[in-house]
Amino acid sequence: MSTYTIPVGPLHVALEEPMYFRVQVEGETIVGLDITAGHVHRGMEFLVMRRNIYQNITLTERLCSLCSNNHPFTYCMALEKIAGIEIPERAEYLRVIADEIKRIASNLFNAAMLAHIIGFDSLFMHVMEIREIVQDTKETIYGNRMDLAANCIGGVKYDLSDEKIKYLMKQIDRLKKPLEEIIDIYINNKFVRARTEGVGILPKEEAIRYGVVGPVARGSGIDYDVRVKSPYAAYDKIKFNVHVENGCDVRARAIVRLREIQEAINIIEQCLKKLPNGPTCIDYLPEIPAGEAVAKSEAPRGELIYYLRTNGTDMPERLKWRVPTYMNWEALNVMMPGNKVSDIPLIISSIDPCISCTER
Amino acid sequence: MERNIQGIFAEKLTQAVGEGFSLRWETDSKGVVTGWCRINDHSQITNVALIVSSLGGRVITITAYKTKDAQQREIHEIAYHFDLDGCTCTVTIEIPRDSGEVNSITPILKSADWTERELQELYGIKVVGHPNPKRLFLDETIDEGIMNKLIPLSVAMNGATSKTLWEKVFAATSKEGDTK
Repeated sequence: MSTYTIPVGPLHVALEEPMYFRVQVEGETIVGLDITAGHVHRGMEFLVMRRNIYQNITLTERLCSLCSNNHPFTYCMALEKIAGIEIPERAEYLRVIADEIKRIASNLFNAAMLAHIIGFDSLFMHVMEIREIVQDTKETIYGNRMDLAANCIGGVKYDLSDEKIKYLMKQIDRLKKPLEEIIDIYINNKFVRARTEGVGILPKEEAIRYGVVGPVARGSGIDYDVRVKSPYAAYDKIKFNVHVENGCDVRARAIVRLREIQEAINIIEQCLKKLPNGPTCIDYLPEIPAGEAVAKSEAPRGELIYYLRTNGTDMPERLKWRVPTYMNWEALNVMMPGNKVSDIPLIISSIDPCISCTER
Repeated sequence: MERNIQGIFAEKLTQAVGEGFSLRWETDSKGVVTGWCRINDHSQITNVALIVSSLGGRVITITAYKTKDAQQREIHEIAYHFDLDGCTCTVTIEIPRDSGEVNSITPILKSADWTERELQELYGIKVVGHPNPKRLFLDETIDEGIMNKLIPLSVAMNGATSKTLWEKVFAATSKEGDTK
């Protein structure tokens, strides 16, 4: 059988962002893959060293839209570690609430993309409609549908009044029933199963070897979640489950993301119930001494790490971050071979790739 | 059961490199342990990778940066951030000025693959023994080590865009003033 090389991307209908894949095929079966990145490389790690530590809170939030909250959140945690700041307890809870709202919206977006790619467009519309509840919630509470600007050094920039708490409770309540319906479709619908089951297999040992993170790892049976392994903010005071699937395929990764939406709702509810009174932020502008720190958080796509070096001035000496998607690209070399050409966009989408994050 | 992964790491490191390292563990208010290690001999990084591999750890990321030595000369340091079952251990080495080379740990820990390629193209640090050393982000026509000498766009353009814009604005407003 003859071998061909098919170019996929950099611009492709099923990819929201540019990435270039050269896929080697034999007939209709994929045998190899070559990934070329760099189409949206903006040199942001250089930019952050030309801005002061306060300006960088705004800049890091603009790295990516879907996990935008995690960047300033984790960056602020790194600054707080260097300066030895303990944030108020109320701020810890408010940070968790902001992050979990973003997780719901982000995971729903990926679930919708899956439906779109397999041609189940009514499901796509349905999921996007549910996501709109979350978008409205973000707009009402934070004033913006994507970038929340919730974090600052030493706490958060927003507060929840009793009225807003009631509103948030009502909004997440509205999510529950439709969410159960769509999860049932993703798990049991025979057409969805036919397209997602056994596709894009990443065995557990390969997942460990490639160091994949987030729902990609948890879909391959790895029980690793930063919120549990190295708790931060209020996650040590909240009870929640880490959902692990052993299917190792596109379906398993989708189920993990959907279950994490349900857990996020559970986490927000606990936070709203437990929300202590008190200040939402420290009441002074802190000075950041010289030092180095690492901070980690569980973004919707997995482990996010920030490494910060300061030298006592306002400008960071070095700020490095590694986004979850960065680790998951190489694993496509394992997921792809043996699958059909028609599954290429589906498998790529199953790692929930964020390219503007990867390339910075 | 809590296994003491930090203790085992320290023990194995002593066996591998003897006295040539410093290591301290920090525990934050949530009980999360972070390790900070500095190794004098940069070639020992492959031994560290072997230890991390034997403990079931992985590479989270690798940070390269420039710092100044005692004579105020610029030197490169590389900080390897390893994950040991939730504990982040940062192992820092200094790159010798004359060679600018470091051994690749990708053959030992696959999770270092992309990040080693990135530091090679951005910092011009030669990663020796990388199985797939081709460019990750930058085009082949761009010199290596671009992070060392990048000129910001605003400097390169010398404020040309904003100057042109304001010239137009001023021209427009002065015309308005004339007609009045």
